[in-house]
Order: sequence, then C-alpha cells, then structure tokens
Amino acid sequence: MPGKGKGMNRVIGYIFIVPAVIYMLVLIGYPIIYNWIISFQDVTTTTLGSAVRDFIGFDNYKAVFSDSTFKKSIINTFIYTVGCLIIQFSIGFLMAIFFSKKFRFSQPIRGFIVISWMLPVTVTALVFKFMFAEGNGIVNAILTNLNIIKEPIGWLLKGNTAMLVLIIANSWVGIPFNMLLITNGLNNISNDIYESASIDGANTIQKFFRITVPLLKTTILSVLVLGFVLTFKVFDLVYVMTGGGPVDATEVLSTYSYKTSFQLFQFGQGAAAANILFVCLFIVALIYLRTISKDEVM
Amino acid sequence: MKKVIALLMVLSMGAALLAGCGGTSDGATSQESQSENGETVEIEFWHYMSEDKEGKYVNEAVEEFNNSQDEVHVTAQYLPRDELMKQYTIGVVSGELPDVGMVDNPDHNSYVSMGVFEDITEYYNSWDEANFLEGSLSSCIYEDKIYGVPWGNNCLGLFYNKELLDAAGVEVPTTWSELEAACEKLTTDSVKGLAISAIGNEEGTFQYIPWLLSAGGSLDSLDSDASKESLTYLKGLLDKGYLSQECINWTQADAEKQFASGQAAMMINGPWQFSGIEEDAPDLEYGVAKVPKADDGVYASVLGGENVGICTGANADAAWKFLSWITGEEKSQEMCESIGRFSSRADVDSETVYADDEKNLVFAEILKNAQSRGPSPQWPEISKAVYTAMQEVFTGQKDVDTAMSNAQEKVDALE
Amino acid sequence: MKNRNILMNILAVVIACVFLFPLYWIVINSFKLDSEIFAKIPTLWPKEFTLKAYQEQLSGLAVTLKNSIIIAIGSMLISLVLSVPAAYGLARYKVKGSKLFILIFLITQMLPASLVLTPLFLTFSKLNLLNTYLAPILSTATISIPFIILMLRPGFLSLPKELDDAARIDGCNAFTSFLRIALPICKPTVITAACFSFVYAWNDLAYSMTFNTKDTMRPMTAAIYTFMNQYGTKWNSIMAYGVLLILPSCIIFVTMQKHIVAGMTSGSVKG
Repeated sequence: MPGKGKGMNRVIGYIFIVPAVIYMLVLIGYPIIYNWIISFQDVTTTTLGSAVRDFIGFDNYKAVFSDSTFKKSIINTFIYTVGCLIIQFSIGFLMAIFFSKKFRFSQPIRGFIVISWMLPVTVTALVFKFMFAEGNGIVNAILTNLNIIKEPIGWLLKGNTAMLVLIIANSWVGIPFNMLLITNGLNNISNDIYESASIDGANTIQKFFRITVPLLKTTILSVLVLGFVLTFKVFDLVYVMTGGGPVDATEVLSTYSYKTSFQLFQFGQGAAAANILFVCLFIVALIYLRTISKDEVM
Repeated sequence: MKKVIALLMVLSMGAALLAGCGGTSDGATSQESQSENGETVEIEFWHYMSEDKEGKYVNEAVEEFNNSQDEVHVTAQYLPRDELMKQYTIGVVSGELPDVGMVDNPDHNSYVSMGVFEDITEYYNSWDEANFLEGSLSSCIYEDKIYGVPWGNNCLGLFYNKELLDAAGVEVPTTWSELEAACEKLTTDSVKGLAISAIGNEEGTFQYIPWLLSAGGSLDSLDSDASKESLTYLKGLLDKGYLSQECINWTQADAEKQFASGQAAMMINGPWQFSGIEEDAPDLEYGVAKVPKADDGVYASVLGGENVGICTGANADAAWKFLSWITGEEKSQEMCESIGRFSSRADVDSETVYADDEKNLVFAEILKNAQSRGPSPQWPEISKAVYTAMQEVFTGQKDVDTAMSNAQEKVDALE
Repeated sequence: MKNRNILMNILAVVIACVFLFPLYWIVINSFKLDSEIFAKIPTLWPKEFTLKAYQEQLSGLAVTLKNSIIIAIGSMLISLVLSVPAAYGLARYKVKGSKLFILIFLITQMLPASLVLTPLFLTFSKLNLLNTYLAPILSTATISIPFIILMLRPGFLSLPKELDDAARIDGCNAFTSFLRIALPICKPTVITAACFSFVYAWNDLAYSMTFNTKDTMRPMTAAIYTFMNQYGTKWNSIMAYGVLLILPSCIIFVTMQKHIVAGMTSGSVKG
C-alpha cells in the first residue's frame, strides 16, 4: 500500500472516533465529576447554594450503606436486571430467529412488535399498572374468566409480585430491542456459509451452534452489556408504576438516589448512591472489555 | 496511550471549568432588570396551576394586573408541580429563578432554607392589608422571618354517595364508631365503604393527619397511645374489608375515581375534586361532611394549599407590587373562588361568600380548624416517616406499635 | 413446505396478538370514557365510543408537534454524524486506546438521567442555551450516541477486509471508502440506528422539560402533565396521548422496514 504507514492509519482512525468522544466527555464528563465531588461534600438544603461546602470524606457513603432501604435497593436492582435480561434476551433471540425465516407475515409482524419499544416509558408504566390493578385490572379479569385463578391477585400490593410485574413490563419493552439487534447480527451472516455447511451435511442444530452463535458473538455481547447497563439504571418505569413501593419492595438504586436528593434534599447522599450504581456498572463494563479483547477481528 | 489519557483529562477539566464548578451565583438572575426612567419592569411568575383548569384564571388575573398599571409587567409561566420544585432546586445552584414563585405550603420551609425565597418581613409588616389566617401564614415563617404570603388553602372532608347511603339506610357518620358501622352496611362484593389514599408519598401523610389529630395524637409523639389509636383504627377498617387493600397505591385522584364509579360509597378528599367528579359522574348525587372524629376526640382536618414568595435575586419591589395585589383584599377571594381554593385571608367571611354553595360551605367550616403541616425545613423526612409507618402497617409488614416507634425514632433523629 | 409456511404464519399472528395486547388495551381505552374505564368490570370493547380524549390532545398541539419534530430530527442528525463514523473507526482501525474509548462510551451511559440534570443545566445556562432547541437536542443525543456506537460496531466488524482493499485499489481514500462502500452495505443497521436515535429523542421528557421552562418550547411529551396531576388522572387522555406519540415513530419504522432487508452482504466481494 503506497504511503499508508501505520501512523497514518492511526490518525485516520482517531479522526473517525474522537469527535464522538469529545462530545460525550464535554457533556457528560462534567456531570460525572460533579456527582463524585458532591458525594464527598455535605450538601443539604442549607448548603446547596453555598459556593464552599465542607468535605466530609466518606460520611455520605457510610450513611447510605447503613440505610436498610439502600441495601434492599441494591438487591432489588440486581434481581430486576438479571430477571429482565434472561427473559428479554432469550425471547428476543428466539423471535429474531423465528422472524428471520421467510414466510409471508414475518416482515410486517416483526415491524409491529417493535411498537412496544417506541411507547414512551411513562405510558407503558401506567398501562401495566392499570392492567395489573387488583380490582378492575384486565389481567385479573381474564385470569378469573379462564378459571386460572379464583381470587384476584393483588399484583402491585405485594413485593414479589410487584417486582414480577415490573420485570414483565420492562421485558415487554426490551424484547423487540433485543430482537432487532440480533436480527441485524443475523443479517450480517452471509447465507453462503449456511449453504456450504448444508452441503457438508450439517443439520439445523449443528448449524446453529457451530455457525450462528460463534458468528453472533460480538453482537450477543454488545446486546447483553448494553441491556445490562440500560436496565440497571431503570428509573421512569419503577418510579411511575410503583414509586418503589409497596413500602420499599421495589426500590431500585436510581429511584433511591432520586428520592434522597430531590425529595429528602440530601443531595450528597443521593450522589453517593448514584455513584455506587455507577461503580457496579463500571465493573460490568470492565468485564465486557476483557471478553471483547480476545476477538478484535481486525 | 498515556498521551491519550492526558488529553482526555484535559478535555474533561476544560468542560468542568467551562460549566463552572458547582458552587453558585451571588443570586444574579437573568430576570433582573432595573427600572430606568420609568420604564416598565418585567418580572416572571412561575406557578403550577394547570392550564386547562385554574391556569386560565391566573392568566386572566395577570392580564388584569398588567393592564391596570404600567410600572410592572408580569409574565406568568405554568410548570407542572414536580418540575417547578426541581427548577427551584436547580435554580439555587444556577441562579436561574423567577421573580415570584409558588410553592406547596408544607414544602415552603425547605425551599426557604435552601435559599430559594427572600425575606419579605419588612414588606409584610408595612403592608396595611396584611391580614391572614394564622395557620396559613405559619407555613411562610422560617426562623421568625416571613418568606412568602399564602395564596389559597384547602382541606379534607368526607364525601358520601347519597344514593348508596339511602339504600343501605345509613346516616352520614360523624364519629369513628358510626363510620365503622356505616361501612359495614355499605360494603358489598362490589362496593367498599370508604376510599382513601395511603400512597407512599406526601399525599399519604396528608390523608392520614386528620385521623391522627382527631384521636389526640400528634406528629411529635407518634408513639403515643393516641397516635397509635388512629392507625389501629384505619388498619381495622382495612382488615374488615371496608377499605380496599389497593389504597396503598392510590393517589387522591385514584380515590376519586373509585368514588365516582360507585365502587366506594364514601371517600376522604378535598374540594379540588369537585370538577373531577362533575366530569366523571355528572349524575352522581353526593354530599360532603367533616371527617368523622374519634369517639372521644375532636373534629380535625389538615391544611393544604399554596404560598407565593419572592425569589432570591428578583426585582423585589416589582415582585412585591404584584404579590400584594394578587393576595390583597380586593383580589384574593375572587382569585381563590375561581380556582377552587379558599382564601387565606382572615377578613373573608366564608359564610356570606358561600351562602348558596352547600358543599363549599362545609369545607369553609372545616378549614377553620385545619392544621398546617410542619412548618419545618425537614418536613419531607417527617412526612416520610409517617407514610412509611402507614404503609408498613397496611401491608402487614409491621404491627402498629413497631411501626410507630420506628417512625418516632426517625423523627427524633432529626433534631 | 407450504404447510410449514402456513403454520409459521399462524404462529406469528398468535405471537403478535399476545404480545401486542397491552397496545390494544391502550388504543381501545383511548376511545372510552373514564367512567367506563373505571367501572368494576373492564370491557374489552367500548360500550360507548368517544373521541373526547383525542379532542383534548389538540390544544397546543401545533406548537408542541413542531418542537418535537425539530428536537427529534436535530438529535438524530447529530447522533448519526458523530456515532456512525466512531463505530466504523473503532471497528476498522487498530488504534491505541480503542478499549478506553469503548469504556468511555459505556461510562457516559451509567448515570441515571435525573442526576445529570443539574450539572447539565449549569452547563447550558452558562452557554445561554436554556429555552432553545439546542439544549434538548444536544442532551438527548448523549443518550443515543454511545448506544449506536456499541450497536453498530459489530456490524462494521463483520465487513470483510477485502472490501476495503478493493475500494482502495479503485482509488478511494479512507473517507470515501467509508461513505461509498461501508455505509451502503451496512445500510440496514445504519437506518435502524437512525430510527433508534429519532425515537429516543422523540420520547424524551426529562431533558426537554428541565431545560425549556417556556411552554412554547416544549415537546409533545410534556402534555402528560395535563392529564396526570394533582387534580386527577385522565386515563383515556393518557392512552390517547400514548397513541399519538407513537404514530410518527411507527410511520417511520414501517416505511424504513423496506430498507432493512434481510441478507445483504453476499455477492459484494466476488471476483
């Protein structure tokens, strides 16, 4: 290649990448630093407006960790995230494969299913709250009519069922998203490979595990890590549907942080809680980076 | 690699510098404009009176004010309540606050301690129309200084479905025993005797206070026998099925829906629900009464409503001109009536004003004894202790004694 | 084979019906009166059909619709312009620090929006961007950019290297190779990315409400507060609001479906 040294290549690479990096750092880097700073300061109603606030070291973190609601919110957030990921990913994957087969309705119906993801989360939260209401919710009505249950279930009145409804609602939104991303990944696998495998005598299951899955690996990892990050920091869905209730049964890290900051006016503690959410996700991101280093295709 | 890291560090530092490091303004706002040589001063008024209901009347009033003189021109801006509160918080740090702002009365103290509102004691003391109900005004006072003026009030009462009560042969209950007996007759498979809101936020606390106070309990002594009695009573109604278990997820608006659709024979709610009932169930015949009192207690209710104040860094003289006009003798009652509130002025004779309006007259009576919440800059935390206790008891997580002692502990820990 | 196809079609319809039931519920309730919605027994079909909920959406719609369109399109453009090249660069070029960059993109997604509001507000305030279109555009783009980069990267990774070489032989430089070869081949993924960024910005409520306090600058999503406030919850209006909000996104997705055609790459590198 005339004139194409490694150095030049690298510079071009940077030109493609760096504008996005700068943009994100300028806009979001500052909020991240800001939150770290105030998590170590004493920021409450009386000190919010002052230019100089006391540094109180890890006091905010200690306060937050000794709050039983906070501990519950960490557990809840993990249960919620893992539950959602398992459901969303497996069903999304199955649907991606199903709808990639060629039959008449595959395209239009796939298009329809995506609609659930396009609804504003506030509306989704309200609809599910409404559908799962004990008294006149349609879910209880259908279940009792089909004789599956005898008495209406108070879905949002008990902790574990409330969490279940949240997971169902979020999965409803997340399945099309997973399905679309995996579909894109599937599209990138050329048919030739399947054809030659067929010629070599491979059956469907072999083709799936020996061709599809390995070739989809980068897509699958991206989908999982993105899914984890986006689900872990869920806010609107929980806040609007249950508000973290009943009592604190569905409190998650971001609702805890928001309430601590904006309702109890303990801004320093709220920031500390948010940073802990951040650290959890950071660890997940590091794990992701380790796994992709092994298959940098280039 | 190191160079890249260094570069990125520099960039984020640059971003931080660019945006200023957290700290604050000396109160300079973009709204500040000094009147020079008699030019009209522009001020902004932020409120949360919804546009399709009260907002219209607010806009009309503002227009009237603007047309009546040309020293001050007011631009009114509606923001949803939660948004407005968030803007105040952000405004403390950024300095972007309006000139005149509205706030829910229990929250007023918290925002004053944050520095959102300015001390207007002097303006108030030299105002000859300064005549407000004590309970209402108390929420504007912080550390013996005045930081706002009450805009309007409301309170809670008992709504009852005349048809359902007549059909069951029940009289309007006035005491807790009567209420329980009434509920027993009124509750069927498809109808609950009473609907309340026991949700896990300020609304839950608001709804609980009349019961607490009626039994002789108080917010300082949540673990007293009297306080516990109120919660035990409500839990009793719940256990007997007179109250729906779902009330822990209901806002007061949700309770109204239950009442309007005939699924609850009675509800505890306030006069702002009149228009909602009108829309949802125009043929419903209902009446209002005081919240039933504890058998050996007193009638009690809780004071809701808004205050308005002058924000830090505003053009105070211009803002005061508007503020005193809209809460003054001439305008206050008119304003409040149009927006479904009761004037907080002590010189308003509700009995004359509402002589033809049976329902509002009842509420005007109740208002006289309605207690305000707090005032305290730590009200949100006190409130949280209260609604948490209520939710814990209603969901069966804790019994009344434990829940109330826990609540008391939390309140004590707040100094 | 034909039987199998019929079976799959039926299965697809069943899946769609079950899955889309909540959506059906939204649409059907938007045509009911609130009193029917709250009746003891929920009805699968309105007893009384009414358009009242939709009529309530109309006030102020002209302004908010315009705002939503401007914000969504602006955000989509910025997002695409920045993130598509970035995904391409990360996939096709060996640069030192690509892992760091990916980490940065992931990190910037880790803070819940509510905590980003105050510092971002400060930033926009200093830059005098409050109550403009730029504030919501710039802030909503921050949601879609990292997401699109992480989503497109695998797509670009799977492009055979030979394509690039073939392009260079034909006289393209790095940028034209990107524009003329890589993009068209990855068109489905790029269009999906465009749709995603549009929808994210279109559905935004928090950023737009916080940075634009003037009601003339608010998007359509702000209308939720008219139907859900301390005075009451108008369920039928909320449902109608949901229906109206997804209409544009739906239209875009449905029309774009044609461009997202299955099986693209075979044949481009032969000979």
